[in-house]
Amino acid sequence: MSLFKSRRKKKTRRDVHIEQMAAIVGPDEILFEKEDLLSYDCDGFTVHKAMPKAVVFPKNTEEVAALVKYCAAHDLPFLARGAGTGLSGGAIPLNGEVIISLGKMKNLLHVDFENRQAVVQPGFVNLKLTNSISSKGYYYAPDPSSQYVCTIGGNVAENAGGAHCLKYGVTTNHILGLEVVLPNGEVIEISEDGIPDSPGYDLMGLLTGSEGTLGIVTKITVRILKNPEGKQTVLAYFDNVEDGSRAVSGIISAGIVPAALEMMDKTAIEGVEAGTFPVGHPKDIEALLLIEVDGIAAGIDEQIEQILEVCKSRNVREVKVAESEEERGKWWANRKTGFGAMGAISPDYLVQDGVIPRSRLPEVLQRITEISEESGLRIANIFHAGDGNLHPLILFDSRIPGETEKALEAGTACLKACADVGGSITGEHGVGIEKKEEMRFIFTDEELDAQTRIREVFNPEDLLNKGKLFPTPSRCMDIKTIVKDTVAVK
Amino acid sequence: MEIKDIPQSTASLVLKDEKFGNSGAELAEPTSEEEIANVLRKANEEGKKVAVVSGGTKRGYGGLKDDYDILLSLSQYKGIIEHTAGDMTVTVRPGTTIKELQEFLSDFGQMVSLDPAWPEQATIGGVIAANESGPKRMKYGSARDQVIGLRVAYPAGTIIRTGGKVVKNVAGYDMNKLFIGAMGTLGVITEITMKLRPVPKAESLVKLFVPKEQVQVLKEFIVNIQDSMVEPASLEMINPALSKKLFNREVYTLLVAFEDVENSVRYQEQWMEEHVPAGMSVDVSQGDKAKEFWRAFATLAPNSLTDQESGSTKAVLKIGTKNMDVLTMMAVEETMTDIDQLEIEIHGGLGHGITTVILTGEESQVKQAIHQFRAEAESKKGYAVVKHLPVKLRKEIDVWGKKPSYFFLFEGIKKTNDPNNTLNYQRFLGGI
Repeated sequence: MSLFKSRRKKKTRRDVHIEQMAAIVGPDEILFEKEDLLSYDCDGFTVHKAMPKAVVFPKNTEEVAALVKYCAAHDLPFLARGAGTGLSGGAIPLNGEVIISLGKMKNLLHVDFENRQAVVQPGFVNLKLTNSISSKGYYYAPDPSSQYVCTIGGNVAENAGGAHCLKYGVTTNHILGLEVVLPNGEVIEISEDGIPDSPGYDLMGLLTGSEGTLGIVTKITVRILKNPEGKQTVLAYFDNVEDGSRAVSGIISAGIVPAALEMMDKTAIEGVEAGTFPVGHPKDIEALLLIEVDGIAAGIDEQIEQILEVCKSRNVREVKVAESEEERGKWWANRKTGFGAMGAISPDYLVQDGVIPRSRLPEVLQRITEISEESGLRIANIFHAGDGNLHPLILFDSRIPGETEKALEAGTACLKACADVGGSITGEHGVGIEKKEEMRFIFTDEELDAQTRIREVFNPEDLLNKGKLFPTPSRCMDIKTIVKDTVAVK
Repeated sequence: MEIKDIPQSTASLVLKDEKFGNSGAELAEPTSEEEIANVLRKANEEGKKVAVVSGGTKRGYGGLKDDYDILLSLSQYKGIIEHTAGDMTVTVRPGTTIKELQEFLSDFGQMVSLDPAWPEQATIGGVIAANESGPKRMKYGSARDQVIGLRVAYPAGTIIRTGGKVVKNVAGYDMNKLFIGAMGTLGVITEITMKLRPVPKAESLVKLFVPKEQVQVLKEFIVNIQDSMVEPASLEMINPALSKKLFNREVYTLLVAFEDVENSVRYQEQWMEEHVPAGMSVDVSQGDKAKEFWRAFATLAPNSLTDQESGSTKAVLKIGTKNMDVLTMMAVEETMTDIDQLEIEIHGGLGHGITTVILTGEESQVKQAIHQFRAEAESKKGYAVVKHLPVKLRKEIDVWGKKPSYFFLFEGIKKTNDPNNTLNYQRFLGGI
């Protein structure tokens, strides 16, 4: 009897919509039972969770279009999801959405070396593209830290960056064409074949970074680049953060455009040294810089010389050039797994993502130190110093009552510090649900309205990824409401 | 932080331009953002139509109207608003010419990485609004890769900021992109913030002269260049007619620019010299000589200030194709007949896919050639936009070409920003 009961209970999630969507994608390509949906209740932003109605796995553009048409016709909220690595909650089904997973549209469709472009499906993993073309000496430039798992479709949605975007730009600078399923199910092709400057408004630029609120990208033409002939990487240790920051400015003002210019502070170094890829950084230094220069081999040595000189003039304790590809690889693994490594020194951590004008680095780092002291929480700083993109990692313990709220509050305060010096609240992680309210730090009501009106052109019914990106008067997140009440808003 | 006011220009603007249109019954020459917003608000309320002009080089670029009610000139709204050398960003008013901007920045060893035509006349506002680029776009990208923030006056008179002043920013929609290349149909850009780059420490230009019968060999060589480790800033191909004018040699010419530190530039020059296929000759210009060439190159195509004489008809086409299809565009004239009264000068970037065609000659032959180039471009899934043409002919020939299937989105965006069609009405694709 009890067995029968539980079966009946289980069956309740299957309804006419599930049947109809299963008919579109096939019975094995849809999840709707509660236990199957659990892993889709959040993405890389784990503070907030919500259950989707179902998760469907279309295999091609036609199925995506059919699903979207179905949802639109039946007023079902829906959203697209790639690998779910997003850090701002963009793929969290706040309204019990149907999640259209693009995880099974994961093919590399075409590579055209002559025209330097490749065509991929949205579920294709970022690093796989570089791996697929490296034998001919080519690569795909945007390299978010999660590149071994995140998808290019997700990268387009978030306009993802990475450590090497200082010289080569972010995702939007590498997208040449998009096939998009609009929220009404219509399929459009923008800049087909990667033709530059197609006449009309730049919808490709608008869609890139729209966090899945304007359409679902089903095919992407990207630019591929030739590997630089030479590459050298420098590691520099400083006894104070101020010297490290001034070295960053010094390198930039010397007219060098490094491929990457990364910085970590003492707490961050403690974390990465306790993590999976320690490299033996001294325990007592206050800051390190990881600097990479690439390009024509004949021109690199003099730039490295200049960098070493700048570091020395800024009281560097020790500075060294990677002697092998293996050493370089170790340094980068240490840096790229930096966020996760915080798990080794703290039960929980919250990643923030502010941007500031480079020249304001010392004062903002000082302010972050104050925020850490005020909150009583440790804050580690790992960041793309070259482009002023800070990642304060707020370390906390969610088991201690009130500490999660404190961490969120400290995160908001860090973003406020960035906004106050003319910066931005996000450089690469996106707004999602995490930073909706913080949008008010940098945009007026009129400016937010100008953006939401553009959304209405594409997504008039607001069924696609509703409740993301823009602040709403009515909030559903209790935890953040507490934060808002305690933090002074500009 | 540096702030610099640039003296207002003394040259008075031509209010009436019968040849190119896009003129106005009355002239507004605001010198502040507030004045710009006021002109727009008033016009919008009174149902008047406004055309926007700045340097005045692009009055032959789109537009079906001879006259608007108001000609809003930004040519007096110029100057550097903010420049922090350490941040490698600059904020500038739209009426500043490209030359004024680059000269200001060069004192700091910095530059805006855009090399559009007519830097002495063209203003940054116009270049952004029309999405103009030059040969070095191959290395540095186009306006959409440089602009990080804008202030825009909407037709209703509100000022909207898009983007910001930092080089990396994903907060909200990337609204900057909407206004780049929108031909001033969505708002008037009142401030532009851009990323800067250091002025390269060395530069050189390798010219490769290619006899017509060796074009296929050249194609293979270009693929080799791209597969090699050299990093050209341009791979701009020039057709024999233009090559004759520039170098007095009636052959195809490939312009390969290198910009980097000295050692790297020398090394790449040497690589080119060592790898050039037999039968092609090479000439290298270094430093100032290369700069001088590019300055002259930027004045090749006519614009609405220079093309004021009657006589032959002039047209300029912007053709977009896949990179290697630029070679096909170069060869279109070979299939053309009845071109005895027509001069066809072409240059196109094999690293960026934009071809510029300059047509000069008898009107009917110019029109015929436009159709042929467009047909060829469209057969390669590309497009041909006529970016310079007298207004009389713009009414006969659709200068923007066919509308995409998603044109309704363009209409929706226009209606959202400019519901009364106050701004640059009918200037853009599909009569937007």
